[in-house]
Amino acid sequence: MSREEIISRLKKVLATVKGVEESTIDCDESTNLLTGLGLNSVGMLYMIIAVENEFGIRFEDTNTSELVTVGKVIDFIQQISAMKQGK
Amino acid sequence: MNTWNENELVNYYTPKDALVRMKDYDCVSRMLEERLKEYAENVAVIDDGKEYTFAELDKKTGALRKKLIDSGIKKGDRVGVFYPNCADFEIAALAAISCGAVAVLLPYHLDEQTLFGCSMKYKLKAVISSEGVNEKLAFAFEKNPSMINIEADKVEEGYAPYVYSEQEEGCVVIFTAGTTGTSKAALLSHKAVMAGIKNSCLGCPVIFEQRYFLMLPLTHVFGFIRNMLCAVYTDSCLYICRNTKNAFREIPTYNPTVLVLVPALANMALELTKMMGTAILGNSLKLIVCGAATVFPNLVAGYNEIGVSLLAGYGLTESANLVSGNPKTLEKPTSVGLLYPNQEYKVVDGELLIKGDNILTEYLENPEDTAAAFSDGYFKTGDLVKFDEEGYMYIVGRIKDVIVLSTGEKIAPAEVEAEFGTVDFVKDCLIYEENDSLVLEVLPHTPVINSLNDEAKKAACMEELNKVNAKLPDFQKVSKIILRTEDFERTPSMKIKRPAQKV
Repeated sequence: MSREEIISRLKKVLATVKGVEESTIDCDESTNLLTGLGLNSVGMLYMIIAVENEFGIRFEDTNTSELVTVGKVIDFIQQISAMKQGK
Repeated sequence: MNTWNENELVNYYTPKDALVRMKDYDCVSRMLEERLKEYAENVAVIDDGKEYTFAELDKKTGALRKKLIDSGIKKGDRVGVFYPNCADFEIAALAAISCGAVAVLLPYHLDEQTLFGCSMKYKLKAVISSEGVNEKLAFAFEKNPSMINIEADKVEEGYAPYVYSEQEEGCVVIFTAGTTGTSKAALLSHKAVMAGIKNSCLGCPVIFEQRYFLMLPLTHVFGFIRNMLCAVYTDSCLYICRNTKNAFREIPTYNPTVLVLVPALANMALELTKMMGTAILGNSLKLIVCGAATVFPNLVAGYNEIGVSLLAGYGLTESANLVSGNPKTLEKPTSVGLLYPNQEYKVVDGELLIKGDNILTEYLENPEDTAAAFSDGYFKTGDLVKFDEEGYMYIVGRIKDVIVLSTGEKIAPAEVEAEFGTVDFVKDCLIYEENDSLVLEVLPHTPVINSLNDEAKKAACMEELNKVNAKLPDFQKVSKIILRTEDFERTPSMKIKRPAQKV
């Protein structure tokens, strides 16, 4: 899965978590989840659960405090997806 | 004004056989000794895939108690407990309390400098921790060499008898996390903790032999007393969720009967049921106990629709647990209910003052704040309340949150927020002052937010809010309404962070 594909699906997740239209999610890989997207601690938890649900992955041993930017989330999705596929 | 009497408790919820089992103890040690032995074969704790029976809990706390006593810990000494949520936390805290020490629950997020500061300020004789979680303590042990390092993972076999305490003697120190102001260390006596544990049982349809699922920190009063100690007292099993991100995978496996949540988490869980189905809450959930912030009516109604009772209550760290509960949640969804018995209370200038066994002894090493917190023996809660004709209590604001306009009018934001909170689409709201008038910010529920691009739908929302505004007394009317599309900034305990009041 390319980073472009992931960010497109991630925007859908973020819209659900924030309770807004997907078109209003203005972010790129450098966007900070806390200060750029306004996710508080409950919002972060909600996002992690929603990402797991959307991508069919599990953040088992991931240190979620490292999920600072949109790009970091994409990194983890790619890594976990690759591990799942045995790459 | 009413508090609950026994008849009301029995009539509403509390099963009579449970009332019989709600025995009084003069100290927490005696309760632990009796209950851990009485329920010996039953599972007390599940953590990280491992089950601990009450007998194993007794054995492990007995061994650690011996280690503490052998290390020179005496009655009244202050012993820090430093762990994330795990069974070792429970064993350490129970061992400290049952050897007569005062367990100081150190929040796991504290940095090494703050831990050192706490060790000095609160005169800790020792800290219990284990390898792998105690790295942040190294600085405190280096700078404060007289403090004893109790490594619980290196405790050998052994067993020391329980040490009993007097009712008034210190049992535990829990740090407060106020919406405003800085954190304070609330010292709760054995009498206060026992009263807090018993209050856990009031007004609940389910009490003994339950399955608790812990999502709150064990350093929080709801985690420590309403979950952990209540589970020991009631022969219930406590499942410790080490990481909340896994909670909704673990809940369907464990199938809890009771959840104790703050409103923000309860709201997220309800939203998740819409995304992933109600199965994420398991198939046995009967009760959600909710407190620490305003519980909006739609949360009560939302859970009722999926067959779960959400009981709103009111309580503080300083009162060792909830002090009220609402047996008529659906009928009076904005009330925090009736005050529990065995408490005296009065209302002075709108503020609730409480006196009772459950109230803290003092803020540790903080005589100024302690003196300011009491008036004539009553603890000043700082919360403004009102009561209806049946004695049901409503929180209408915080003393520090009172908005004073230049006209001299005083407005309790929570009272006005509660009015707007009755509108169906309102998920959460905030009132504050700007340019000497009131501003309302509303966070609608997700589907409504999604429709706000449609001008007609947005206008319909504004019309509903304006209808509520029109019915308010003039001094409470807001002059500006903002529909938010993003959540509010919140405190670590999920409360909305209020803008600072003008002095």
